Amino acid sequence: MRPSAVWRWPLLLAAATLLGLGAALLGEGGVWWGLSWTALVLPLAVMAFCMLRR
Amino acid sequence: MGVRSLRRWAAIHKWTSLVCAVFLLLFCLTGLPLIFKHELRELLSEDPPYAVLPADTPRANLDAVVAAARKRHPDHVPMFVFVDDDEPKVTVGMLPSPTAPPAQTRQLKFDARTGELLKETEPAAASGPDFLDVMLRLHRDLFAGLAGELFLGAMGLVFAASVVSGVVLYAPFMRRLEFGTVRWRRGRRLRWLDLHNLMGIVTTAWVLVVAVTGVLNELSRPLFQLYQLTDVQAMLAPYRGRAVPALDRLSSIEAAYVLVQRELPGRTPTSVVFPTNRVGSPHHFLVWTKGSSPLTGRLFTPVLVDAERGELSMVVDLPWHLRAIQVSRPLHFGDYGGLPLKFIWAVLDLVTIVVLASGLYLWLSRRRAPIDVELAELEGVADEA
Repeated sequence: MRPSAVWRWPLLLAAATLLGLGAALLGEGGVWWGLSWTALVLPLAVMAFCMLRR
Repeated sequence: MGVRSLRRWAAIHKWTSLVCAVFLLLFCLTGLPLIFKHELRELLSEDPPYAVLPADTPRANLDAVVAAARKRHPDHVPMFVFVDDDEPKVTVGMLPSPTAPPAQTRQLKFDARTGELLKETEPAAASGPDFLDVMLRLHRDLFAGLAGELFLGAMGLVFAASVVSGVVLYAPFMRRLEFGTVRWRRGRRLRWLDLHNLMGIVTTAWVLVVAVTGVLNELSRPLFQLYQLTDVQAMLAPYRGRAVPALDRLSSIEAAYVLVQRELPGRTPTSVVFPTNRVGSPHHFLVWTKGSSPLTGRLFTPVLVDAERGELSMVVDLPWHLRAIQVSRPLHFGDYGGLPLKFIWAVLDLVTIVVLASGLYLWLSRRRAPIDVELAELEGVADEA
């Protein structure tokens, strides 16, 4: 696998995490909280998906 | 990655992980209840409920509240008044003497509207810490004060190094595997290696943010104290030599609070620190203010009000490193996005425990071969599959 391919998902999930951490801090409640929760759940959801597809 | 650099990173990952393992487990276990500190406190609280009053009921006069506290404890001195913006309460903190240790602080909780005393909290030194206090002390300083804070801060840095070295090792382990591969049926060791890699890599960003902000929090006390000793002293230079005002000659706390509210629109005063308090100035009320947005609500700015004349002396502009510490608090606590954010924090905390445990298992069940040999063997097994 090309090195870039190894990092594609990890970088995407790290970006989602940082977006989630920043959204609730910089935005004011409401839609920003929803965005924050969604972005932070994404890495956990991807992890769960990988573990459940046997 | 060459064989030599692979071996070097593997050694860094092994040793940094082993050094901080026990402390990381401690952080994760004690941190879990601390995420829900606010909810647990509310649940365990036996405080009488607040009186139901119209929302526009004015706040009680702070001078009257402090007078009531002093009347109740004439042998104590008031150290601070905290005006909550979340609940209708005003808390007065008192000490037996201005130099008594903070653990002897007696807290009197008043209804912010009626000025009625609701509850009195005995000094922690007398009543002993409760469950959440024990968790916090273990999490923050192992009951060892500043030395414990600096030690655990160093462990946080070692942990960050362990995470970074783990990320570096991720690539060689995954170079022939699709993202998220878990080889369930190729032996326990391979299964846990894959799970360790998967759980570790998806939580990397969160865990690094929490580790680094945790380290910043551990530096909070020494850095604020240093600031107090240097910059704050310089700011107070014009007052040096002036007699320290006696407690009974202080100007109105209520007036100081309202003055700051009026002069700094958009900022909410949260507490007034008395000149008797070692934190602050012997000549001023120190009024802590905060902004109204989630971010500025974490950026507390001190305002000094002359404690004799009642005039606004200065709005203190905190240096960037103290601002960074203030911003690092919510990012460490996860308390800025409602209850769902706290649950996400808790799940990530639990995943971190599994990453830690699986890492330990991989070390305990390790092969006595250098990492590059083992990697080649693993890939041989994968190729056969």
